[in-house]
Amino acid sequence: MKKDTSGRLTLIGISLSLASILIILQMVRIQNSTKHQELSEWADEEYSYAVENYYPERGNIYDRWGRLLAGNEDVFEVGVMLEYVANPETIAQTLQGINDLDYQEILQAASKEYDSKRSVYAVLTDFLPSGVIDALSQIKQDYELANPYGKRDSLPSLRGVVWYPHLKRSYPENSLASNILGFFSFMDRENGIGYYGVEEYYDDLLAGNPMDTFMPRNPYLIQELPDVPAGASLVLTIDREIQAMVERKLDEAVEEHEAASGTVVILDPRNGEILAMASQPRVNINQYWKFEDEFKDKTPFNRAISETYEPGSVFKILTMAAAFDNETVDEKTIFNDPGRFEYGGSTIYNWNRRGWGKQTMQGCMQHSLNVCLAWVATEMGKEDFYAYMQDFGIGRRTNIDLGGEEIWPLSTPGDSDWYPIQLATNSFGQGVAVTPIQMAAAVSAVANDGRIMKPHVLKAIIQDGRQYNTSPQVLSVPLKAETARLMTDMLVKSLKEESSLALVPGFDIAGKTGTAEIPVDGVYGIELTNTSFVGWGPTEDPQFLVYVWIEQPDSSPWGSVVAAPVFSEITAELVRYLDLPDKSDFETMIAMDN
Amino acid sequence: MAKKNKQAYKQAPWRRQIQSIGLSLLPVVSIAVLISLYLIISAQAAAAGLEIMNLHFEEEDVLRDIANLRTELAWATSYTEMHKRAEKLGYEPPEESKVHFMTIPGYQGQNPALIAPPPGGDAKSIHFINEAYNQSLSTWVFQTFFMDRQHTSGGIQ
Repeated sequence: MKKDTSGRLTLIGISLSLASILIILQMVRIQNSTKHQELSEWADEEYSYAVENYYPERGNIYDRWGRLLAGNEDVFEVGVMLEYVANPETIAQTLQGINDLDYQEILQAASKEYDSKRSVYAVLTDFLPSGVIDALSQIKQDYELANPYGKRDSLPSLRGVVWYPHLKRSYPENSLASNILGFFSFMDRENGIGYYGVEEYYDDLLAGNPMDTFMPRNPYLIQELPDVPAGASLVLTIDREIQAMVERKLDEAVEEHEAASGTVVILDPRNGEILAMASQPRVNINQYWKFEDEFKDKTPFNRAISETYEPGSVFKILTMAAAFDNETVDEKTIFNDPGRFEYGGSTIYNWNRRGWGKQTMQGCMQHSLNVCLAWVATEMGKEDFYAYMQDFGIGRRTNIDLGGEEIWPLSTPGDSDWYPIQLATNSFGQGVAVTPIQMAAAVSAVANDGRIMKPHVLKAIIQDGRQYNTSPQVLSVPLKAETARLMTDMLVKSLKEESSLALVPGFDIAGKTGTAEIPVDGVYGIELTNTSFVGWGPTEDPQFLVYVWIEQPDSSPWGSVVAAPVFSEITAELVRYLDLPDKSDFETMIAMDN
Repeated sequence: MAKKNKQAYKQAPWRRQIQSIGLSLLPVVSIAVLISLYLIISAQAAAAGLEIMNLHFEEEDVLRDIANLRTELAWATSYTEMHKRAEKLGYEPPEESKVHFMTIPGYQGQNPALIAPPPGGDAKSIHFINEAYNQSLSTWVFQTFFMDRQHTSGGIQ
């Protein structure tokens, strides 16, 4: 009995051991078979990961006070999962008309035969707002309740219709500051890029790093979940309120003077921050695809940085500042103006074709005498004159951080396209072309103790949850501080003595008008002009510089009549936005403090 | 002379049988226990992994919602909308002659936007994983029993 039991137990033990060994051997065989490897690879490919195109949230753009100028909003792509479509006619009837969808078009898409390898999903439309999706969801639910699983062909069903959310670029201010912002071509979800302005210049920063990511489906691989950070957000130097005011004033001026267009730039000469930059035309960048309707015939998107033109008499500020700095002239220098100046085989005339007799340098600036300035430039000499102009940045990019900056090269002695007469004509802004931002930056040297700060619109970058503020950069130092102050004083007196329409009550403003004749078939005439005014203040501590350019006004050809009042109106409002008290308020405040 | 002692009795046969069965079953039971533990831990890890994946997708949804709400707020407070609301409430732009400035002691003026904290600062690293998952058994025992007592005794003193 004892022997039998022991034998049975041994037999069972051996059988179980053999079975275990066989199982282990089979497991080893399976693990090492080529079929296993193939199956394993196939399973990995099919079920471990899913390739997803991941587009990080595009960075926001704010104004200097944190008001959102460009953000992102939730929209939906609507499509059909062909495997589950029960009633294509219902889908076509329900969705027709949405985003201009056509009944036949939807019906065709929804009726496609399902093929697990070739035809699984069809996109019907995109960029639908959440309101439409809510309504669609309700209809789908109602149909599903009445006809579960869409089994009854006679009843409507939206089975198979699905929607996926994604973000779309949105500009809450519509056309406001559109010339600065540019736009992002959000309709192209895969290859959208930034065009013009900030959207173009900082496209890489804003976009982040779109990538095709392997999303693990295996819950053990969670550490491999992709970490795709959002694009960086930007804080601009622009002030939304000032920008809106400037655009309004500019539009009014262009309409009043029946001008072809206009541009205004406001910057802080102390650090180069652009406070506002407006030009015409502008478009609602939420519908950026329509921009070509407005910007016809190569019209620049932002004239302030992309359109070069002959600036005219505002350029005299640079010539006179250079001459003072170079000590070619001083405050006591007298020029006897005969009304004409022969140089380089040509004759230079004043704007009224008359002589003004003995004039100080202030008189030359006050009366905007071409003859005087041509004489000053020739006295200075071509080498020094052009060296100063290059230091002022004429013919060079300011490298403002906006996409699309253009320049016109400055012809200098030795160039094939330079002739001696250009020294005389360039001195009063003829035969030389600049963009408004170049001109504003150059003149800012006079407002800022001789230093030109690099004009810029970026105040801070927000990346990885941190805000990195930018630092102002010196672009060049073309003048001595004393020269800059001397010029400022001279231009303050000039404006006061001529009772300029640019004056702003309660503030000391320095500035200069410009009237540049536009050549028609190579002949300059007063019929077609560019009028401009550049001014800055308060002169004891300049905090703003305003450049106004009204292009081809019909009402009057003169900068003093067209551009100067626009400057005055803008500046009168600007000082309030900047919290700058006028002289009487300032004195009252000092008295109260004492 | 060493004297070898012998047991004066033998174990009952049923006990010897039980012992041999027990000894042969011991590895089987041990392996079964280990496999069970492995399965339980794996299942828990898989459940946690799935939860993390779901949270990851939820996070994406929440971030999208935040972006959307931020933009909706910007639409509601855009220049045009605020202008309309101000007009509706009876506000109007001030005339130049009616604007006066006065000194307000201590007022520094409006500060530029600070959307996010500056770099550096007092940022502290955030631990997403519970410390218990990163420490050894001995550290856990030391911290749980020894450190706690120290803290307790310190508290009493």
